[in-house]
Amino acid sequence: MRLNGIDIDDTFAEAFPMKATRLVITAREPAWARHAAVAATGLATSVIGCGCEAGIEAELAPSQTPDGRAGVAVLLFSVSGKELAKQVERRVGQCVLTCPTTAVFAGLPEGEPVALGRNLRFFGDGWQIAKVIDGVRYWRIPVMDGEFVAQETTPVVRGVGGGNLLMLAADTGAALEAAEAAVAAMRRVPNVILPFPGGVVRSGSKVGSKYAALSASTNEAFCPSLARRVPRSELGDGVRCVLEIVIDGLADVDVAQAMRAGLRALVERGAASGLKRISAGNYGGKLGPFHFHLRELAPAADAP
Amino acid sequence: MNHRLQLRQPPALRVDARGLAPALLAALSMEAVLRLRLPQGRDELAVGDLFTVASSAEGSGEPAPRLVLEGDLSRFDALGAGMAAGTLEVDGPVGDATGQGMTGGRLHVHGPAGELTGCAMRGGWLEVDGDTGDFTAAARPGDLDGMTGGMLVIRGRAGERLADRMRRGTVAVFGDAGAFAGSRMVAGTLAVAGRCGAHAAWGMRRGTLVFAGPAPTPGPTFVPVPSEAEVFWHLLSRSLARCGGPFESMPGRRIERYVGDLAVQGQGEWVVAS
Repeated sequence: MRLNGIDIDDTFAEAFPMKATRLVITAREPAWARHAAVAATGLATSVIGCGCEAGIEAELAPSQTPDGRAGVAVLLFSVSGKELAKQVERRVGQCVLTCPTTAVFAGLPEGEPVALGRNLRFFGDGWQIAKVIDGVRYWRIPVMDGEFVAQETTPVVRGVGGGNLLMLAADTGAALEAAEAAVAAMRRVPNVILPFPGGVVRSGSKVGSKYAALSASTNEAFCPSLARRVPRSELGDGVRCVLEIVIDGLADVDVAQAMRAGLRALVERGAASGLKRISAGNYGGKLGPFHFHLRELAPAADAP
Repeated sequence: MNHRLQLRQPPALRVDARGLAPALLAALSMEAVLRLRLPQGRDELAVGDLFTVASSAEGSGEPAPRLVLEGDLSRFDALGAGMAAGTLEVDGPVGDATGQGMTGGRLHVHGPAGELTGCAMRGGWLEVDGDTGDFTAAARPGDLDGMTGGMLVIRGRAGERLADRMRRGTVAVFGDAGAFAGSRMVAGTLAVAGRCGAHAAWGMRRGTLVFAGPAPTPGPTFVPVPSEAEVFWHLLSRSLARCGGPFESMPGRRIERYVGDLAVQGQGEWVVAS
């Protein structure tokens, strides 16, 4: 399939079930909520080495938060509920509790509850107090700027991790510009995050390695420097840079919506932008239950 | 089936009315309701001896059953006691222990209520348009815990020992409260818009006592807290505002806080809205 001069591969992104939660971080000033959210979602690009994948989903107006202050919604994804609970506790404890004037609330209405303030309360060393307001339990922990308020638990739901788009471009500049345009469009979609720096990853990986200690290694099929040296390169002539966008979402429809938005943004820019092909990463379809076929999500496929 | 029970005349002796539960009566025909027995001391009376009953199938498909009582029910005790679901409306005064131990549903008294109103309440919404007697939202005699959940709104005044030993839930009083309001409170929220009698929050361990109106002078076992509690107040004031009346303006008001009673655990707090 070729749209606006850009080839869309007949392939699919293969995604996996994950455990997910949303946290709402508020503060007296929006900047401080952002500081906490950026720190709490730092070093959270891939479950391979970070324990979770996390990112800022949206900035929230005072009318959208439980305490009527401006805030930030963040999403965290992990491979198991237990690991997610560990990551929530560690990240909120080190990055939100510590940040001036912040408070943290659960951002999902229902799901399996895991501890949010329930264990962090022990930082209060006995001075912490619980408060139940409208059936929701909060912990109030004395800190040096007053008190840190944290909802007791946050619901965990089944999410989807690993949706992706691969952008094959004529050069590095064109690939970066394409990726930035796609990221801008995809970040407007609710319920998803793009966990890599700037939403973009250059080190697409495959499962396994020639080194026994590594569980993942570079995906040589998409490395332009190896195009003529590896037996199954996916790259033809004229592709000199490949970038990837990884998408985690609260549901498969959210990931599909984000991929749709990204594809539309890329196609609209046309081949003159230097983008040659759009592809997606998968493992043959046998590992992940969610398959997002590019040609079903491409803009032309939307037309009746 | 929805029923409306109209009292013909007040009984000579007190009646235990906990059997008049909306969920129970909704499943009964008018004839069965008329035959329903209510304890009166060692004897029993039939509902038909006391009330005229009007029944209608209209709205019977609604998920929450509804029961309406009319008349001077000040000799009917334990109305809505143990109620778990449905709506009970009483148009007139009621006796003691109204809503005692209720766990859910909605009970609205358009009139005054007696002593022990909402005592040991565990959930649901109880609203009294008039005054309530002593030991409102407190513990049953001999129990350790007072109210442990739900919402109690009193549009009139409350008697003495309001919310004594209260553990969870919210009580909002539009008018004055008697002596020892919030005494021995373990937790929960008590908000008073009028004046409080002597010894407010005596022996308070944890919980919150909100003064929306004139606050008494804190005793020597309460100390002021200079720090802000912006988030907590945003959450609590919005919740209280839903009670309406003098609490509607709570979210915009500034507060001062005191903690105590230092004679006991000392983690309770007074919130004085200015």
